[in-house]
Amino acid sequence: MTSTSRRTRWSGDWLAVALLLGGVLLLYYAVPILAIFLAQSPAAVLSELAAPSVRSAATTSVLSASITTVIAVCFGVPLAYWLARTEVRWRPLVDAAVVLPLVLPPVVGGVVLLTVVGPNTVLGSVASAMGYELTGSLIGIVLAQTFVASPFVIVTARAAFAGVDQDLEHASRSLGKRRLTTVRRVTLPMAWPGIVAGVTLTFARAMGEFGATLMLAYHPRTMPVEIWVTFLEAGLGNAYPVAVVLVCLSVLALLVLNVLGSDPWSE
Amino acid sequence: MLAFDSVTKTYESFQLGPLDLQVDDEILAILGPSGCGKTTLLAIAGGIVQQDAGTVSLHGDSLDSSAPEDRGTVVVFQDGALFPHMTVRENIGYAAGPETDVEGLAETFEVTALLGQRASSLSGGERQRVAVARALAADPSALLLDEPLTNLDAPIRHRLREDLRAKLAPLDIPVLYVTHDQSAATAIGDRLAVLNDGAIQQVGTPATVFEEPATPFVARFTGHDNVFEGSIQPGTPHPHVQWGPYKLETDCAGLEPPTDIWFSIRPEYVRVVPEAEREATPNVLTGSITNRLFEGDTYRLRIAVEDLDERLDLTVLRPAYDHHGLDERDRISVSVPPTAIYLDEVE
Repeated sequence: MTSTSRRTRWSGDWLAVALLLGGVLLLYYAVPILAIFLAQSPAAVLSELAAPSVRSAATTSVLSASITTVIAVCFGVPLAYWLARTEVRWRPLVDAAVVLPLVLPPVVGGVVLLTVVGPNTVLGSVASAMGYELTGSLIGIVLAQTFVASPFVIVTARAAFAGVDQDLEHASRSLGKRRLTTVRRVTLPMAWPGIVAGVTLTFARAMGEFGATLMLAYHPRTMPVEIWVTFLEAGLGNAYPVAVVLVCLSVLALLVLNVLGSDPWSE
Repeated sequence: MLAFDSVTKTYESFQLGPLDLQVDDEILAILGPSGCGKTTLLAIAGGIVQQDAGTVSLHGDSLDSSAPEDRGTVVVFQDGALFPHMTVRENIGYAAGPETDVEGLAETFEVTALLGQRASSLSGGERQRVAVARALAADPSALLLDEPLTNLDAPIRHRLREDLRAKLAPLDIPVLYVTHDQSAATAIGDRLAVLNDGAIQQVGTPATVFEEPATPFVARFTGHDNVFEGSIQPGTPHPHVQWGPYKLETDCAGLEPPTDIWFSIRPEYVRVVPEAEREATPNVLTGSITNRLFEGDTYRLRIAVEDLDERLDLTVLRPAYDHHGLDERDRISVSVPPTAIYLDEVE
């Protein structure tokens, strides 16, 4: 037997081991989600959907997560591009600032935000005087979600931009195209799948945001807060259908965004 | 004219310049080894890298404060830098004006059949054809090519070399062609500029640079593999080169003996001398073969020259090699024709 065939056999074995190990985790993800679906009759889920509190929470979640995602994209994607291209020495500091909300426990994130936008803070008071409540409102939810979820699009889009060969941008500019045109026609289309992956993660994370949201805006209720309240007030059994609705919404969002993010120039 | 005037760029462990260079409406090939600064020079001209000092100008106008898109100096990158998400037609038409004949350019560069294909599906040679077509579609004021043939297979490289020369020569704009390949430089360039360690060693026509290298580096880089140091001594009719115990006849005049010199001998000019012809042949050296490399039509031999701690390379055609019955470790005599010795003063 040649060494090549030995290497091939070992490679196969290691792949099998890797799949086996990963498979344990995959089962750990899939089984509870399947279980929650099996534990519910479709009728129970539909009846929960008809409940005004659930419909209101679903609407609030989808609306706030959408607004959060738009904000994260508008401010985060340019930052991601800057991070991918800049050579300033203090870039690691910006990197750390971007990652900080990811490593901070969401509840702590909520506390941190309350020190800036809470009702008794300068910012909170001024906004309140102008008719905008920064806590206990849709704005509060968006503030909490943006803090916790926007780093996902920055980190992912940054990696996507970094993966675009800079010579392509140089070539475009050398051919007479301005930087903005170059980004629009060359960089963005090439980084698109990565950016959409980031958008997906941000949206999904915003939909599921609980800790910081609870601190900033108990009302109006988002789906995670609704599940929490239902669980406390009526027990786990009654929380299941609401949870199923949230899972369905999240999966639907993932599907839509993944279709949008499919490789736009694949044959 | 594209002109570099005292251009300097300093990196942590490397400095380019101060460098002066003028490129008329011609193809100037910048020839040099990896890391000599030739790509940096091209990037400075294209506005991709900003020089620390000095001025780059095009037709008399300074480019120093111009963004890359405002310079008119279009760069063709080593791998083509085609936009992979676009078709060949979209790539060529990317910067084309409304009156640019994209189809005509595609025909000129023999890529018409590829117009509908994604750039990501092209071979290396096709990519470079499209890249040059795309550059010309932008109606450049100067063209900057960064080793466009480097990653191609030999037959494609040779074909594309001829095509590039044929298509770039009539452009009548400054064309800077950066390469480490001396054959590409001589085939494509009207003139050569040899660059080493950030400094220009010599500028001239390919024939001048190859026949009369200005420095030992240029000599070695352009194929004068045998470069040695010696001195000029009085001789008749021309001065001799004193090389250790050997006195080599030359046909060089102009240097007054005694002068320390470097001299070079191209391997292809050295010939094997049969024993019977030794007495009648000038500049005979004796040595033993230490290395032998089969190169297809020729053998490349290295001999350790007797009474001298030097190695001399020579190429021998296969029939001659077989005729002399040569083999490794054989002791042979070779001669260096006086006309084959190029020499210059040590600076």
